[in-house]
Amino acid sequence: MLVRQVTAASVFLVVSLTHWAFGGASLPAPADTTVDFTQQILPILSGQCYGCHGKAVQMHGLRLDHRPGALKGGESGTPALIPGNSGGSRLIHYISGADSSIVMPPQGDRLPEAQIGLLRTWIDQGAHYSEEESADKGQAGRSSHWSFQPVLPAAIPEASDGEWVRNPIDAFVLEKLEARGWKPSAAATPRVLLRRIYLDLIGLPPTLDEQEQILDAPTPERFDELVSELLKRPGYGERWGRHWLDLVRYAETNGYERDATKPSVWKYRDYVIRSLNQDKPYDRFILEQLAGDELPDRSAETHIATGFARLGPWDDEPADFAQDRFDQLDDIVRTTSEVFLGMTLGCARCHDHKFDPLTQRDYYSMVAIFDGLQRPRNGRRELDLPIGTREQLARLAARDTEIAPLAQEIERLREDFRSSFLASGESKLLEEANQAFLTAPKERTEEQKNLVQKHFEESVTEVTAAMPSKTLEEIHFLEEKIGTLKMATPDPERAYFMHEPKLPGPTHLLFRGRAATPGPAVPPMVPAVLADPEPAFPDAGATSLRRLTLARWIANRQNPLTARVIVNRVWQFHFGAGLVRSANDFGAIGQKPTHPALLDWLASWFVEQGWSLKKLHQLIMTSNSYRMSKNGLPAYREEDPENRLLWRFPYTRLEVEVIRDSILAVSGRLNRKMFGPSILPEVQPAALEGHPDPDKIWKASEEAEASRRTIYAFIKRLMIIPMLEVLDFCDTSRSSAKRAVTSTAPQALTLFNGDFITRQSHYFTERLIHEVGLDFDKLIERAYRLTLCRPPTRHERESMLDFLRREMEASLWESTKVNDREEVRRAALHQMCRVMFNLNEFVYPD
Amino acid sequence: MSQESKRYRPNHTPCGRTRREFLWEVGGGFAGLALIDLLSSDGFFFPSAQASSTRKMPAALLSPKPSHFPAKAKHVIFFFMNGGPSHIDLFDPKPALTKHDGQPYQGELSVGSNNRPIGYLMQSPFPFKKHGQSGLEISSIYPHLSRHADDLCVVRSLYTDTAAHASGVMQMNTGSVVIGKPSLGSWLSYGLGTQSEDLPSFVVMTDPRGGPIGGSASWSAGFMPAAYQGTLFRSRGSPLLDLATPDNVSERRQRHSLDLLNRLNQEHLSSREQESELAARIYSYELAYRMQTSAAEVVDLDKEDEKTKDMYGLNDNLTNDFGRKCLIAHRLVEKGVRFVQLYSGGGHGPETWDGHVDCITNHKLHGYETDQPMAALITDLKRSGLWDETLVIWGGEFGRTPTSEGVGKPGRDHNWYGFTMWMAGAGVKGGQAIGATDELGFKAIEDPYHVSDFHATILHLMGLDHKNLTYFYHGLQERLTGQRGSLIQKALA
Repeated sequence: MLVRQVTAASVFLVVSLTHWAFGGASLPAPADTTVDFTQQILPILSGQCYGCHGKAVQMHGLRLDHRPGALKGGESGTPALIPGNSGGSRLIHYISGADSSIVMPPQGDRLPEAQIGLLRTWIDQGAHYSEEESADKGQAGRSSHWSFQPVLPAAIPEASDGEWVRNPIDAFVLEKLEARGWKPSAAATPRVLLRRIYLDLIGLPPTLDEQEQILDAPTPERFDELVSELLKRPGYGERWGRHWLDLVRYAETNGYERDATKPSVWKYRDYVIRSLNQDKPYDRFILEQLAGDELPDRSAETHIATGFARLGPWDDEPADFAQDRFDQLDDIVRTTSEVFLGMTLGCARCHDHKFDPLTQRDYYSMVAIFDGLQRPRNGRRELDLPIGTREQLARLAARDTEIAPLAQEIERLREDFRSSFLASGESKLLEEANQAFLTAPKERTEEQKNLVQKHFEESVTEVTAAMPSKTLEEIHFLEEKIGTLKMATPDPERAYFMHEPKLPGPTHLLFRGRAATPGPAVPPMVPAVLADPEPAFPDAGATSLRRLTLARWIANRQNPLTARVIVNRVWQFHFGAGLVRSANDFGAIGQKPTHPALLDWLASWFVEQGWSLKKLHQLIMTSNSYRMSKNGLPAYREEDPENRLLWRFPYTRLEVEVIRDSILAVSGRLNRKMFGPSILPEVQPAALEGHPDPDKIWKASEEAEASRRTIYAFIKRLMIIPMLEVLDFCDTSRSSAKRAVTSTAPQALTLFNGDFITRQSHYFTERLIHEVGLDFDKLIERAYRLTLCRPPTRHERESMLDFLRREMEASLWESTKVNDREEVRRAALHQMCRVMFNLNEFVYPD
Repeated sequence: MSQESKRYRPNHTPCGRTRREFLWEVGGGFAGLALIDLLSSDGFFFPSAQASSTRKMPAALLSPKPSHFPAKAKHVIFFFMNGGPSHIDLFDPKPALTKHDGQPYQGELSVGSNNRPIGYLMQSPFPFKKHGQSGLEISSIYPHLSRHADDLCVVRSLYTDTAAHASGVMQMNTGSVVIGKPSLGSWLSYGLGTQSEDLPSFVVMTDPRGGPIGGSASWSAGFMPAAYQGTLFRSRGSPLLDLATPDNVSERRQRHSLDLLNRLNQEHLSSREQESELAARIYSYELAYRMQTSAAEVVDLDKEDEKTKDMYGLNDNLTNDFGRKCLIAHRLVEKGVRFVQLYSGGGHGPETWDGHVDCITNHKLHGYETDQPMAALITDLKRSGLWDETLVIWGGEFGRTPTSEGVGKPGRDHNWYGFTMWMAGAGVKGGQAIGATDELGFKAIEDPYHVSDFHATILHLMGLDHKNLTYFYHGLQERLTGQRGSLIQKALA
């Protein structure tokens, strides 16, 4: 492929010396329209041409990404395009195939005629590049785009309604509203606010006691205290850790054919929960995840954090190994740039970014930063790694070298005795089974394999029991020796992360993103447009230190994106929508901030507060903006249906985790055990039918264990738990900034008919009866307080009573067996509980 | 549509109300509610549609959408021969292979996947015959299907990017060997919406022996909302997850509970009238309730007459399963389902079309299992008039090698350089074979078509331009065909 490219380019030179043998007649006709450079031309040029004739690479001296370059032409000195004369422009001849000896681009499909027509029109209309483009994008780190400008502390606006302003957030929000002559929505009622704060911060509804504590004197200050208190609870990390896991494409298997489990990966999940609960400064959180192995004060914890790079899907049997290597690096570069910087750098893999000042060179310079990382594996099987200093790991290796022959010797002793025992005929196993054990594993028939599997334990017990004491002593002696060695050098903690076993070689830019067509080597570098100043990538030590350099540059108050991106995310998870709606894209086609001054004020305040996420929550949640009700004037809705000005608190459906956890909390079955290997909640066998190994992939945990919070549920890429999947769980193959919210019939089926709901309704019924007895009035009252944090209205109470009576009649009518009046009551209550869990108000809190 | 309305009475809810009446009761005054079966909360995926002059309603994810240009086909039925069927034993006769049978392969292609043993060239033991007026050649594996030879457009020159099952099945379904992309059926649901709101728009039926390798990645909606993903549909018992009313709850009490829920939700909504999301969620429960009836009806084949059961092979143990699925596929398409995918073969090894050890016995079995049911479905589609609006596709993730796997053994290995798929039905020029592999059947040499070309053609027949069917995600306009894909013009009628 590369050969062909070079050939084509040399022909370019030859042809340029001759005259054009053809006019415009055979070319596709120009388009009959006025063209827009950015919208119509730039995507074609950057997609098709800039890879070889752009900022990063100029094959044969030709540069098409700015007007002077295109007018000057390549080494031949003949212009690539002549403004006003597309028929005479070489660019058009080459791309249209009018000259069979030279065709551009040299690989791939010809450009469609419509695109050539557009290019012709553009040239005929003067070949104007847009201002931003002709300003030589990416050059000199200057771009006028808002998010690349330094964060400057914005002045807090003077409030005209001083009463409403509890903190600077309110001043910014109010300023925008007042500019329109609008007023913020009224304050939410204490009950509404209470439920909102609990669900938002810890993802669980308040208990009855907790409700009472606040509601007897619900002052704004009491709510402030509540926020501080909830931030100290472990549930905070479990709720907000899940947001982070969405962002970093966390899942516990690799996808693809084997969908193998990532060993020890759950430690990363625990790391996230712990970090949030400790209020680890966000800049430190970044450093640990990107370069925890390179930090001077590295520890087991920081190594676990670097699991970040390894969380994505992985094909253990790729079609093309070289390409696969870059797919893995791409996953890391994409995720890093989107999560920490809100930049879609991944778009520059095959060509310069079509909209942002990011070049292909920027992309591969970022690839170079991660190019030292290797995935520890044994063939297709992934390995986790022991954590330790170089010396510790060397001692560990030495220990294991000593242990290996001892272990082998134990195995030999056992094996020798086993074969002699089996051959002696003393075994009490079935003859066929005995024969199966005696056959070498590779030569066993299917039947024998089954026998061995079936009688394995039995055989081991039998053989061990028959072992002469001398052999047992020998084995014991060896085991003691191994034990002593392990005491002296204990097993270190293991975790799932990538390592840099050796320093990386040169990283090449890839034409069109294909590993088969490497271009020039690029050094590790951060995107040029942001490199002010360019961080110095040091000479390497044990690792390349490239990631640490990058991490320090990101986790830096000078970086214009980092703080803006994270405060926007926190805002989004509180309000349902960010100040920048496209939370993973702060670039040109991302959305502009609705409150730019507020965003900047928050970003600089956040950094001043030591990058403390908890302080940020506290600030947001003690504002009156957060405490507004969801009502608002119809006129506002008409003018601002997306609530961009924040005239009210928006409606958002709870995430599936909060729905499931709330149900468990209300039914009284929530198991608050934290951390550790994941749980596998029961799923119906039918849900496994789409998998090639339906019987093997899902060994459900016991119900009590499975009733832990959903963040501890096993996320298997090829078998997402149906309840999670159907209720809009995030995409696990890419960073996910925001969940979709849909209302579908399968969701209704899951929540109305599913086994989980049926069981929890049963437990909820039992709980209610246990707490208040069988009086319907009291039961209804308590059910409402537990699920919705409020008493029922008179009308609701009547509806419920009416329903319960009719249900009881129906039960009695339908079954002759039911004569126990209490049973009939329970059955009716069970239905009531099921309905409570399905109420709109339950999943769409006010 | 007129046919459909003749065939089906208005859908009554079991408590005797028509849907319209129901909507009037629960939705009182919600203009356009019938359209908002499935809503996107933020209007990001579609611009908001103006539902009334006073307020905006977010557009429905699955409401019918116009095609880019008039469509030839409204539905797709995809027979997926999981494991990689051998084109040279089915649709691509190779006399030269007979001539060179038993000789070593001396070409330049690397044969053998995963270091499997490489044997000699192996002729097909299945005789080919010309069929129909067109004289299309089909092997003896598919005698029933051969009766429809004049309808098939056999494409003999497909190629793909991978020789591995997982990535191959994924590419055939999602266009990419990389995980996380939406599947063909999702793209169609996204692009066209559905005509059948009380059934899923994209239905997948797997083999009772297991799912394909890669599992749900092949019918995933990838980065699109889950509403577009394929729904696993079981051909027996309860076809959908959680479709059945819980044990110990009678239908009457189910309805009681649902009525209570609706009443309470309605009351809640009355002070929040503008919140269309809340209205949509109320509607989703009624839709689910109707789905309980409609989906269960689709798999209830007891009332079919004996003749139909015989035609589909329901009375033969080997064809019963695929026959049921084919008969259900017909019913689904009849009810407006957009995309139905039927898997033949599942789990591992010989339980799929993956004939490594003994391709001959393997293909005899899987060929027999699918032949009569597929032929019956085509006959039935013609009878019901749906043939003119249905596109039928057959194929797997790749083909198989002309060499045997190991000397003297009757297995064949994976072949991704060249293989066969066919399409038939609406908009397809039948009775022809297009493209060709080399004389041994190894590599596509004449009119080679990449999987993306095949996908582009399917979308085209459904009225969609694959270059304009895009979904904005992470800064890119994503397409099913990526940066590739051109129409297989010769296949078009």
